[in-house]
Amino acid sequence: MRDRLRRGWSTPALLLLAGVCAAGCVVGNLDGADGNPIDAAHARQAVVSGARRLTRVEYDNTLHDLLGDSSRSGFAELPEDVNDPFDNNYTTQLPSPSLIEAVEKLAQEAALRALADPAIHDKIIPCKPTGPGDAACLRKVITTFGRRALRRSLAEDEIQGYLGLQDYAIEGNSFDIGVELVVRAMLQDVEFLYRVEVGTPVDGVPGTFKLSDHEVAMRLSYFLWGSTPSDALLDLADAGKLSTPADVRSAAVTMMADPSAKERVNRFHALWLSYHQLPHPPALTAELRSETAALINRVVFDEPQDYFDLFTFNETFLTDDLADHYGLPKPGSTTGAWVPYGTSGRKGILSHGSVLSAGTKFADTSPTQRGKFVRNRLLCQEIPPPPANVKADAPPSSAMASCKIDKYKKHAQVGSCKGCHSQMDPIGFGLEGYDSSGVFRASEIGKPECAISGDGELAGVGPFNGPAGLADRLIESGELEKCVVTQVYRFAMGRREGLADQGAIADLGARFKGDKHAFDQLMIELVSTDAFGFRKQEE
Amino acid sequence: MASFKLDRRAFLKGLGGAAVALPALEIMLDSHGSLAGPSVPAPLRYLVCFGGQSLGGDGDPLHNDYVPTKVGKGYDLKSALAPLGVAGVADEISVISGLSIPTAHDNGGVIPAGGRSDDFHVTSLSPLFSGVRSGAQIVNGVTSDQIVAAQIGATTFPSLVYRVQAGWYLSVSAPYGRDLLSYKDGGPGNIPIPIPATVSPKAAFDSLFYNFNAPADPGLAKQKDFEWRQRKSVVDLVKTRAERLVSRLGGADKQRIQRHLDEIRDLEKRISALPPVAKGACAQLPDPGMDPTVGGDQGTDGAGNNTYDTNLGYSGEDLRAPVFCDLMHMAFACDLTRVGSLMFTMAQSHMNMFALTQQPCDLHEVGHGGVPGPNKTLEVSKAIAWHMKHFAYLIKKLRDTPDGTGTLLDSCAIVFLHEGGHGLDPSSGELNSAHSTENMACLVAGRAGGMKPGQHIVATGMHPANALITAMNAVGVKTNTLGEVSGNIPALLVG
Repeated sequence: MRDRLRRGWSTPALLLLAGVCAAGCVVGNLDGADGNPIDAAHARQAVVSGARRLTRVEYDNTLHDLLGDSSRSGFAELPEDVNDPFDNNYTTQLPSPSLIEAVEKLAQEAALRALADPAIHDKIIPCKPTGPGDAACLRKVITTFGRRALRRSLAEDEIQGYLGLQDYAIEGNSFDIGVELVVRAMLQDVEFLYRVEVGTPVDGVPGTFKLSDHEVAMRLSYFLWGSTPSDALLDLADAGKLSTPADVRSAAVTMMADPSAKERVNRFHALWLSYHQLPHPPALTAELRSETAALINRVVFDEPQDYFDLFTFNETFLTDDLADHYGLPKPGSTTGAWVPYGTSGRKGILSHGSVLSAGTKFADTSPTQRGKFVRNRLLCQEIPPPPANVKADAPPSSAMASCKIDKYKKHAQVGSCKGCHSQMDPIGFGLEGYDSSGVFRASEIGKPECAISGDGELAGVGPFNGPAGLADRLIESGELEKCVVTQVYRFAMGRREGLADQGAIADLGARFKGDKHAFDQLMIELVSTDAFGFRKQEE
Repeated sequence: MASFKLDRRAFLKGLGGAAVALPALEIMLDSHGSLAGPSVPAPLRYLVCFGGQSLGGDGDPLHNDYVPTKVGKGYDLKSALAPLGVAGVADEISVISGLSIPTAHDNGGVIPAGGRSDDFHVTSLSPLFSGVRSGAQIVNGVTSDQIVAAQIGATTFPSLVYRVQAGWYLSVSAPYGRDLLSYKDGGPGNIPIPIPATVSPKAAFDSLFYNFNAPADPGLAKQKDFEWRQRKSVVDLVKTRAERLVSRLGGADKQRIQRHLDEIRDLEKRISALPPVAKGACAQLPDPGMDPTVGGDQGTDGAGNNTYDTNLGYSGEDLRAPVFCDLMHMAFACDLTRVGSLMFTMAQSHMNMFALTQQPCDLHEVGHGGVPGPNKTLEVSKAIAWHMKHFAYLIKKLRDTPDGTGTLLDSCAIVFLHEGGHGLDPSSGELNSAHSTENMACLVAGRAGGMKPGQHIVATGMHPANALITAMNAVGVKTNTLGEVSGNIPALLVG
């Protein structure tokens, strides 16, 4: 099974099965959901989903899997995604002239790159054209590449549309011109750029649709892999093997064993914990990323254990250089090894320079931003903006204290500021002992008189000292556990949750507990619910 | 713009020297390269620029180092505007001071028409760009540039929307509209539709100058025509398929994909439009080449995973700004557009200022005392001056470009807006705050509609939107209002 779902070009089943559905399968007609009482029961639990555009990273992953294209040109040229905190929140996506033009240019460049590579060229063209106007051979290109690019088999009238481009191949006396244009057109197609779900209306449940197996395949692959369905996954969809929760679970279990799932889990954490863009020189950035990726991989995949060990782990993966950076014992390795934290006062992922970079800019840490980060990201709490119409009686004094924490404390004493800042700043005070790349400091740089105690407080939970203490408080509060589930849900659904999602999130939380907090199981559970194969239309 | 249509293919063939003689075609083009009768006067152009910074620094009793002491012509240049003097364009630019955006605090706790709620964050943008009070959306009305574009924008590009600041740069957050300056009409429930800016100078260049000047060599011209027809057919197929998809969708998805389809249709129109012809001031610009890297470096980590970008908060904006100014200038000269918006920095900008002004923090922090020392407002002025250096470059370029009997600047109405002023922050009670829309100022350049530039006008009690209304009138949009704000600034027309 694992081999059958492997990604990339090597799947032998591709060519055998590609033709099966080529003539006339239409998306949404495969399931016969109408009137099935089980479907109706499941459909009633369906939640809203909208058409989602590929993020820049998903676009690049998709080009890589379709065309062996590792240029990552989409990240450089497509408009910046909104990190909310995940880059795939479709409610924030806006089309624009720059998007359309970038997509057009990227499509042309990718098509040319692919055809210039003999190996890729021959894989896109699975036949030997007899001449520039060989329609049978171009049809084969359209059906095989089209199935992979558009993630479903094409109907005859669609094939005819693409075949029209062969006129240029004849005019230019080159079969490849036709192929280039087909690839270009498909890489600009709305169904390539967006994951559009249509489905079949469910009888008795208005506004709700059962997804086609191919639409389920898309949901699975972009959630678990951040990329397009593999040929083997499309084969399962073709064969109608993704239409029940049990089928989907079985596919998901296999998919989680793929290296792409590791990459995806790392991407989730990078966006969630805000280290996808680190404000450091590239060498340090790379080292910090490796450290955090190693811990996530170990806790989630390599030695699966309770997910919250991620926050309390007592060793970390360091190269000599990174150990030097932190002032921790060197492991005697340039490629990295596990080093015990010992009595350093550190533990878990919150002690990593990657995560400690969150909420800092280009100079120093901000206790407020760090506190906000902990509230928003780790506790899923929103800090309200300052009240709309506060008339403060006494403006804060302009005469500032000389030590940083005292300045912040002074600011937070002001009537209108206090309410929110007391929720945030004391958390940041507890992390002040670590600078914006995770290096320990006992006092402010250049101000030995300003000692940093590392004492902080998570208001409503209790006092703590340093990132290790914060981790304990977060786990103890029970809120971190709920928040992790919520964040995974957001990442999967590509939007923030609403009231209608609370039941699904609570259910998922219970399963997570039942699975002893196995993170890979959480992802599998999310796709195996009764409602996963359905969608509610967004009005 | 004339409605006359010429088959572009025949046109290109003509330029290629095949079927149609070149002089016959040139007759149809006016000096701006667009199709128009010979008696049509020079087109009028409208541009809104924006800098995401208030005029003064927190806690500094000095409200700005921007507004001249002298009123009227020959005004003195303070440090924020010093680059206008360096470029020798101060007499092309009027400074409007004394502006403000009213707050709920001023109005018994209720947000007034054209006003904002007391919390400063983002709330100045709606009244500033659209004249409509802050509220549910970041911007609650159609912005002035898009009102103008709807009226005079019948060019290849109805408007050009550019942004210099290449990224948001704050990894724990997202811009949520701080990156948007232009909104057009037509949203459901009259919610204006934002127009995300083009951020890549290279992409902007490619878009503007695609197929500029058909090659003289017939073989090359034929090849170019062949490629153009392929491009058109591909986009046409993509469009047809999108249309079919939209018809199968319902609810929000239908609107979502329809908007994408609208953009494809616009692209198709642009591809089909006549390319500009080098003539007079209209010339092919040199290719700007690869964009400066966004945010820093891209690479892979030790495990071979893509790391995407390092966030250094800076993407070579100092190099990007002049390219966008060049492109906007040439788009005007070639009459590819008559309307633009140019956001230099985002609202509440987190762009790292170190490379630009050697200040050790981002632009937002400059306003909030991020630079040590007592002169917080002078530090802010330094940051504003970076914007002004590029603005002055653009104005100089327009002024130095002959157009008809005058210069390109003569037909322009250009406004530079700043995010805030300096003074009372009604939210905190702080009297010398960057979170204030008291003591605002803006710049107006160009002689369109008989505007008389080069003055310092004290428009006490007026709203920045009054300057926009004056500029809109100057390019022929007959309106007395922008959103909820009424009236122009007559002094801009006298002097």
